[in-house]
Amino acid sequence: MFSYYLKLAWLSSKKTWGMSLLMVLAIGLGIGAAMTTVTVNYLMSANPIPEKSEQLYYVQLDSWEPTEPYFENGDPPEQLTYRDATALMQAKKATRQVIMSGMAAVIEPKNKDALPFMVGGRASSADFFPMFNVPFLFGSGWDAQADEKKELVVVINAELNERLFGGRDSTGETLRLAGKDFKISGVMARWNPKPKFYDITTGAFEDVEEVFVPFSLITEQFFDRSGNTNCWKPSESGFQAFLDSECIWTQVWVELPTAADRDAYQGFIDAYAAEQHKFGRFARQNNNKLSDVMTWLEQRQVVSDDASMMMAMALMFLAVCLLNTVGLLLAKFLGKASEIGVRQALGASRKDLFIQHLVESGVIGLAGGLLGLVFAWLGLSAIKAMYGDWIRDLAELDMNMILLAIALAIVSSILAGLYPTWRACQIQPSQQLKAQ
Amino acid sequence: MLSMKHITKSFATDNVVTHALREINLDLAEGDFVSVTGPSGSGKTTFLNIAGLLESATAGEYWLDGEDISKLDDKGRSRMRNQKIGFIFQSFNLIPDLNLFDNVDVPLRYRGFNAAERKKRIEFHLEQVGLASRMKHLPSQLSGGQQQRVAIARALATSPRFLLADEPTGNLDSSMAQSVMALLEEINRAGTTILMVTHDNTLAAQAKRQIYIKDGRVQEITDNRNIHNLAVG
Repeated sequence: MFSYYLKLAWLSSKKTWGMSLLMVLAIGLGIGAAMTTVTVNYLMSANPIPEKSEQLYYVQLDSWEPTEPYFENGDPPEQLTYRDATALMQAKKATRQVIMSGMAAVIEPKNKDALPFMVGGRASSADFFPMFNVPFLFGSGWDAQADEKKELVVVINAELNERLFGGRDSTGETLRLAGKDFKISGVMARWNPKPKFYDITTGAFEDVEEVFVPFSLITEQFFDRSGNTNCWKPSESGFQAFLDSECIWTQVWVELPTAADRDAYQGFIDAYAAEQHKFGRFARQNNNKLSDVMTWLEQRQVVSDDASMMMAMALMFLAVCLLNTVGLLLAKFLGKASEIGVRQALGASRKDLFIQHLVESGVIGLAGGLLGLVFAWLGLSAIKAMYGDWIRDLAELDMNMILLAIALAIVSSILAGLYPTWRACQIQPSQQLKAQ
Repeated sequence: MLSMKHITKSFATDNVVTHALREINLDLAEGDFVSVTGPSGSGKTTFLNIAGLLESATAGEYWLDGEDISKLDDKGRSRMRNQKIGFIFQSFNLIPDLNLFDNVDVPLRYRGFNAAERKKRIEFHLEQVGLASRMKHLPSQLSGGQQQRVAIARALATSPRFLLADEPTGNLDSSMAQSVMALLEEINRAGTTILMVTHDNTLAAQAKRQIYIKDGRVQEITDNRNIHNLAVG
C-alpha cells in the first residue's frame, strides 16, 4: 500500500501544484534557515579530537591577583605564568605534557626571487604531536632531547611545504626562519581541528599554525611571541624578569589516561599551589582546574551566545513556516473531502486515510527538505562570504547534517500534517457523497 | 441478507430534535431488488446511508449478512463496506484525477488483492460495462452514462453481495437511464441484492419490490413481482 500512497501523494501534489509548491517553499525556507545555523552550531560545538578528548586536560592555576579573581565567576586564569608552566613540565607527572605559546617569525625562501614573508607559528614542546594525534605527510615531530638541547628544528604544515618545496618530502632540508636555519623534521598532513581546541585564547576557530618550533627556543628570543599576555604585577625590565614575572602567556596540556591519573594530577597541582602559597603567591590556593577538551570548550563558551541565539531564532522561523504549512495542508485536505468520502464508501478505514495523508505530508516534507538543503547551502555560502576564512570549515554541510535536514523536514511536515490529517479523517462520508 | 428492526435516526441541534427515520423494519432476502421512493426530505437517502454503513442509526438493530452492525468499529464497518457492499451514486463520485483503471482499482486496493488479481477484475468489470477500451481515460473524458457505468464497474469489482444505488439515473437522460437500469437488472439476475433509491416511479416499478417512505416511516411495501405476474398472466 505504501507505493500506492506515494502515487496518490504525487497525483494530489500535481493537482494542487500551486499549494504544494507553497508548502515545499515554506518548509524549504524553514529548513534552510534552521540548517544554516544548526550546521554552524554543530561544527562549533563538535568534538575536535573525539578519540581522546577525555584524556587530555587543560591546566589552570590561580596565580592571579590576590584581591580580584581573573574571571568574574572566580574561575582561574586561562593561561599560566612561564615559571609555573615550566615547573609543571619539569615535574613530568603526566603521561604526556606540553607547554606552548603562539609565535611569529619571518621566513626567507631559498629562491632569491621570492620575498620573505611572515608566518604565524607555535612554540611547543615535543609531546604536542603525539598528544594531539597530529597527522604527518612526511617525517615526524621532534623529540624531548631536541627540546632540552634547544635544537633548531621545525615542523611545517602541508600548505607551507607546498609553497616552499612544491609538495615534495622536505624533511631534513633547512628552512630559513627568523634569521636562523631550522632543520625540517616533519611535514604535517592537512589538520585543522575546529574548534582549534589546543589554544582558544586568541580565537577558537583560527587555522592551525604554519610552523611549529621547540618552546625552549623562546628563551633565545629568535622570534616574537604572539598571543595574549596578561600581567597583574609590575615586573622589572629585561626578558629574564619577564619570564620570572606573574604575567600569564603560556598554556599547558597534560595527557591523563585514567580517572586515577587525573585525580593524582589534581593532587599534584593543588600541592604545587599550596607550596607556592607558602612563598606568598597563589592567594586562592585551591582554585586549580583540570578540564578535559569538551569541558574546557564549554567553559570558555566557544559556541557564542550570538550563534545560539541565531539558531533559536532560525528554529522559531521553522516553526512559523510549519504553522503556515499546517494551514495549507488543512485547506488542501479539506478540499479533498469528497474524495475522502468516496474512499470511505469504498472501504477505506480511518487508519487507511490517516496513513495516506501522512504519506502525502511526508512527501511534501521530503521535497521541502531537499529544497531546504539548497537554501542551507546558499545560507552557508553567504555566511562564508560575509565572515571570511575563519568560518570556512564551520560552514560546510556534512553527511550528518544532510541526513538531519531531510529527517527534520520529514518529521516536522508529518507533525504539521497530523492535525489536517485528523480533521480529514473526521469527514462524514454520507455528507460528502450527498453534497456531490 | 439484510434485516432492520426498529431503526431510528434523529438529529439533535441545541433545542430541536429532528427525526429522519422512525421505526424502520425491513428484511431483504438474497437476490432481492428493492426500490425506495418517497418525496424529498422523506428520509430515503438517510435510510440508504444507514443500510450502507455510511451513517449509524440512533436506535434499532441492523444485521447484514449475519453480522450485527452495531457491534462493529470503524475498521469492521470499513471491511463490510469493502467486501459486502457496492455503492452507486447519482453524481457517479468517480475520483477525477484517476483514470478508469485506477478508479475501479480503489476498492480492490483496500481489499488487499495482489496486482494480477486486481488487473483481472478491473479488466473484467470494465469489459462488462463496455468500457474496456477506455481504461486509460479520465472520467472527465466520458459522458454521464459512461461515468455511471464506470461507477457500476467499481461497485462490482470486489464482488459485493449487496449493491446500494442512490438515484443512479438521476443525472442521466432517459435512454441512458434505461441502459443503466438494464445493467442493474442483469447484475441482480446474477444474484446480487440491490437496494435502489429513486424518485422515478417508472424505474422504481422495474424493481422486484418497492418501498415508499414518507416522514421517515415506511408507508407501503409493494411486491411488483405479483403485479408483473398479473400483467403477464
